Order: sequence, then C-alpha cells, then structure tokens
Amino acid sequence: MRQLRDLGGGSFALEVEGPIPATLPGQFFMLRTERRWPVQLPRPFSLYDCADDGSWGSFLLKVVGEGTRALCDLRPGEGVVLNGPLGQPFPADVDDPVCIAGGVGLAPFLLLARQRARAGERTRLLFGGRNRAALAGIDDFEGVAEVFASTDDGSHGHHGLVTSLLDDLLARSVVKPGETVFCCGPDPMMHAVAKVCEQRGLRCFLSLETYMACGYGVCNGCTVEVQGPRFKGWPYSRTCMEGPVYETCELTELQRH
Amino acid sequence: MLSTTLGPLSLHNPVLSASGTFGSGWEGRQFSDLGRVGGLVSKTVTCKPRPGNPPPRIVETPSGMLNSIGLENKGVDYFVAETLPRMRQIAADGRAAHGAAPRLVINIGGESIDEFVQLAARFSAEGVDALEVNLSCPNVQEGKLLFSTDPRLTEAAVRAVKKVATVPVFAKLSPNVTDVVSIAKAAEQGGADGVTAINTLIGMKIDWRKGRPVIARGIGGLSGPAIRPVAVRMVYEIARAVRIPILAAGGARSAEDVLEFVCAGASAVEIGTAMFTDPALMVTIVDDLTRLLTAHRTSIAALRGTAQAGQDARAAAPACKPAEATR
Ligand SMILES: Cc1cc2nc3c(=O)[nH]c(=O)nc-3n(C[C@H](O)[C@H](O)[C@H](O)COP(=O)(O)OP(=O)(O)OC[C@H]3O[C@@H](n4cnc5c(N)ncnc54)[C@H](O)[C@@H]3O)c2cc1C
Ligand SMILES: Cc1cc2nc3c(=O)[nH]c(=O)nc-3n(C[C@H](O)[C@H](O)[C@H](O)COP(=O)(O)O)c2cc1C
Ligand code: FES
Repeated sequence: MRQLRDLGGGSFALEVEGPIPATLPGQFFMLRTERRWPVQLPRPFSLYDCADDGSWGSFLLKVVGEGTRALCDLRPGEGVVLNGPLGQPFPADVDDPVCIAGGVGLAPFLLLARQRARAGERTRLLFGGRNRAALAGIDDFEGVAEVFASTDDGSHGHHGLVTSLLDDLLARSVVKPGETVFCCGPDPMMHAVAKVCEQRGLRCFLSLETYMACGYGVCNGCTVEVQGPRFKGWPYSRTCMEGPVYETCELTELQRH
Repeated sequence: MLSTTLGPLSLHNPVLSASGTFGSGWEGRQFSDLGRVGGLVSKTVTCKPRPGNPPPRIVETPSGMLNSIGLENKGVDYFVAETLPRMRQIAADGRAAHGAAPRLVINIGGESIDEFVQLAARFSAEGVDALEVNLSCPNVQEGKLLFSTDPRLTEAAVRAVKKVATVPVFAKLSPNVTDVVSIAKAAEQGGADGVTAINTLIGMKIDWRKGRPVIARGIGGLSGPAIRPVAVRMVYEIARAVRIPILAAGGARSAEDVLEFVCAGASAVEIGTAMFTDPALMVTIVDDLTRLLTAHRTSIAALRGTAQAGQDARAAAPACKPAEATR
C-alpha cells in the first residue's frame, strides 16, 4: 500500500503499488492485509482507479466492519494481498451509458469514466447520498465525467433521492428513454432505480454487492436467483463469475417485486 | 519424504483439496501449479441436478464460516461430460510436468443406497482414482435420516458401494454424531478402504436486529480453523479404533496443521475453507512441508500417528483420574 486518502464520511481511497493487471469497469478484486488480517475471508472491492500502465491502483473503501477497518488501518509500505480482476464487467457495447451510483457504489464508475475519456467519450454520472459528506469521491470525477449529484437533505446538488434526479434529467432530456443505465449502490437504491428504468423504458444493469467467500467461483456461496438464456435454465448464478453485473430482467427477485 | 498411501492408493504428497471448496480445480488452476498437489477431490456429485439452497448461503463466523450450499451441482451426466475431462486435463498436465499427477477423487452423494451404487458404478467405469462417499446426505427411504448419523446406514451404504466399485472407497464422516468412532468402525466393517474425517459441524448465526438467522436455511455447516481441534480429536480417536487410513479435513491452513493431523493419525489432509483466502495455498503447503520435513529429518510416514504412541506412554505413567481430567 502506497497511500490512504481520506475522502470523508468514513470513506477512503486505498492506493496500492502495481502491477495492477488490466481491468474492465465492474470487475473486482479480493483484498486482505498481508499481516494481521483479523478475519478469515478476503473481501471484494471494485477497482476504483488505476494508472494507465498499471503501476498503481486504488480502491474506494467504506469502513463497515473488521475487514474494511483493517484495510483502512494500513500504513504506507505495509502489504495488501490482491486477487483479481474477477467477475464480468459492465457490457462494453453500450454507447453512452447513464451511470448511477450511491455510496461506495461509485467505485466502478471512475475506472469506466477514465477509460471512456481516454477514448474521447463522455460519461454521465448520477451520484446520490444522504448529504454532502456521503458523496465521498465526487471530486475525483472532475474533468472525467459530467456529474449530477443529489442529496436527500439538499446540501449539495439536486434535493431528493437519486431516482428523482433521474426523473428530472429525463424531463430535461439529459437522459432519454431507450438509453442504458449502469447502477451500483445499496440494494434499496438499486431496486428503486431498476423500477424507474422499467417504467421509463431504460435498459438497466446492476452491479450487485453480494457476500462472497472465495471470489473465484469455487464455493457456490455468492449465488443470486436468476432467469434468462445466459443461465441455460439453471436458477442460480455465482455473482463472482457470471456477475457481479446483471441486467435487471435477469434477476428473479427484482422481477417478483 | 512427502509420499503417503491411503490403503491401495499412493499419493506423491499428502495435500488434497476438500470437496466443495475447490470446484473441480479448473477455476483455481490459474493461481498455482495444481499438478503438484497430492489429489483433487470433486464437489459432491449427485445422480440428478440439484439447484441448491436459496441465498444467503454463507456467512463468516469467528475463525471460520457457515455454509448451506445444498449440494448445488448439475448432476452426474453433466459432471462426466464437462467437469471430469477438466480434472483429467489438470492431472495430465501434472504428469507431463512433474512425472506425478494429483489423484482424482470423486465425492458422491445419494439420497438412497441405490443412488450411491449407481454413482459408484459410473465413476468406477470412468476409471477415476478413488471415490469419497459423502454420508452427510439424507436417506429418503429412512425418513431423511442422514447416512452419517447411523452406523447401520453407514455400513449398508459403504458395503453396497464397495460391491460395485473397482476403485478405493473412502467414507466421509460427519462430526454431528454422539460417537464418531462407532460410525468409523461401521464404515470399516462395510469394507471402506479409508475414512475422511470430518465434514462440517452444524451451526447457526442469528442477526438479532432482523430477528432471524443470517443463512436462508437457518442452519449451516461450520468450517475453518474454528473446527480444527474437533477434527484433530476425531482423527485421533478414529485412528485408535480402526485399521484403515484416515484422510483428515477440518480447518487446516498450513503445513504445520497438516503435520498436526498426521501426528494424530491421518495419512493425508484435505484443505478446504483456507483455499478461499489463498487460492494458491495447497502448493504453498507442499513447499512448506518439504522444508519442514527436511529440517526435521523426518517424513509423513514416520510422523503418522506419533501422538498416539506419545499418549500411550503418558497413560502408562500415573496420571490424573478421568473425573479430574474432565474438570
Ligand atoms: C463485487 C463487489 C464489489 C464491492 N466493491 C466495493 C467497493 O468498491 N468499496 C466498498 O467499500 N465496498 C465494496 N463492496 C462491499 C464490501 O465487500 C463489503 O463492505 C466488505 O466485504 C465488508 O467487510 P467487513 O469485514 O468490513 O464487514 P463485515 O464485518 O463482513 O460486515 C459488516 C457489515 O457489512 C455487511 N456486509 C458485509 N459484506 C457485505 C457485502 N458484500 N455487501 C453488502 N453488505 C455487506 C454485513 O452484513 C455487516 O452488516 C463490494 C462488494 C462486492 C461483492
Ligand atoms: C462452501 C463449502 C462447501 C462444501 N461442500 C461440500 C460438499 O459438496 N461435499 C462434501 O463432502 N463436503 C463439503 N464441504 C465440507 C468440506 O469438504 C470439509 O469437509 C469441511 O469444510 C472441513 O474442512 P475445512 O475446515 O478445511 O473447510 C464443504 C465445505 C464448504 C466450506
Ligand atoms: S464467492 Fe465463491 S463462488 Fe462466488
């Protein structure tokens, strides 16, 4: 580990020395500290940022328990063990995705916006949180993406939930029906976004944050209930292998709601 | 130095994967040279496809984890067509690179003796190296009583499997019984070539805020270092009571742990949950074992069961009475 940047609100950018293997937006790594890892299993995190040559990379972490605490307690020079990139990225064939993030769900979108910016393409990012402090990482998108923020208390950007921001952008034709949404954040937010997308005729891909043990497909612990041709009739899918990105129509639980 | 035998089966080292924790090896092959491990044990294969249990299926607990996967697998036809060839490929690569290949052990699960027999016949015909019989399966004909909890069912299942199997058969024991030794003896009586000890210990974790267990099915199997002392004790007790070799499992995550099991009486050791933390761990353990055994000028064969002899010597000397010992 090279540096820990405090982004406020209990979130940090953990920067690590490379080499970081080539990673696509939405893919993740299993992380643990090299020494004094207080828990058993490594923890999954999206790659947040990365040097063009892979000489360093960073992860956006929010401290929620022992594992994230241990990673954020690291000092420069101490070791982090990485395994990745793992999982399937957001689909690459979407021309101009509308990215919607909540909390540390922001993580996959910096890499996405950077890779698109490098190709001369714009990225729209809708980022919602309770208040300004919950928008940790927003400053890293300056000059990389067009950011539309929303806060529940109105302390920054649009006043309201990220779904009402989406409604607003649809009304202003910044976002148009028929476009594709990439969404990552807390479950209730992703469910709400999925619903708006369905009502307004947007395609929607979610990046799920399921509990994982191995992250490389051997434990069958991270499954979600799925449907659709990709799964050939099998009712479960390993989020670490076929996910973590799923189109909303593939997620059986969402379809039930 | 590292070589060991499990009855009729010889292994070039005592490190194997544990069933259900390393897939078929295919997913993990990118992380280390699997040709160097002693054996690969498949996830439990059943006659019919089983979708498995609803999520959440896993949760971490102190020094371990609970799982309730529900034997998710696509059934024996799929396994033979898709998975077994990949396991064979790993073994062939190992043989080409090192002159020795990991043994392929197929773990089978049945809901009736007949299903166990079908699977044993099928995999014998496929010419795998050995079978591991997952006795922690409910017997539908006996009111879903687990084979593993009843000496009579254990013996009957093993005997039936042995009748059709042309490869060595290991009976995988559950620790969720009052007397694991009687089950091990029943397996020996049924003709097992060895026993695997242990499968997971049943446990539960409750989220008091939600007022319900974390795992959808409520209970799950506990694995990881948390269960190692239980596994060591059971291996030790079984080793005293049976003549067939023991394949140990339960919380091993280092070469030291492997030697602890060997000392208790195991001939080889399966690495399970620890593979989730470090996908290259089995090969690291093989290297560490070489180093440790060289430094101590000993071998797996020489160390096997040494704790038994040590304890016998101590028991011969005046010791505390049993009542005091339990206090
Ligand atoms: C593909 C993927 C990508 C992720 N990317 C990021 C990221 O970029 N940044 C980030 O901060 N976090 C990310 N997460 C979530 C992160 O993995 C968890 O926050 C972390 O595992 C918690 O570990 P812990 O030991 O600190 O907490 P624990 O002690 O394990 O848990 C603390 C609390 O968090 C909850 N929790 C634990 N694991 C998860 C999980 N996977 N999802 C939701 N809740 C959980 C527990 O139920 C508990 O209430 C990602 C998860 C996945 C699956
Ligand atoms: C996620 C998971 C899945 C498992 N699946 C199986 C299985 O399909 N068949 C079986 O016989 N044992 C299964 N086991 C038990 C292991 O093979 C092993 O006996 C047990 O986990 C103890 O070893 P460990 O502590 O090293 O993991 C499973 C264990 C885990 C953690
Ligand atoms: S986390 Fe183990 S299979 Fe996905």
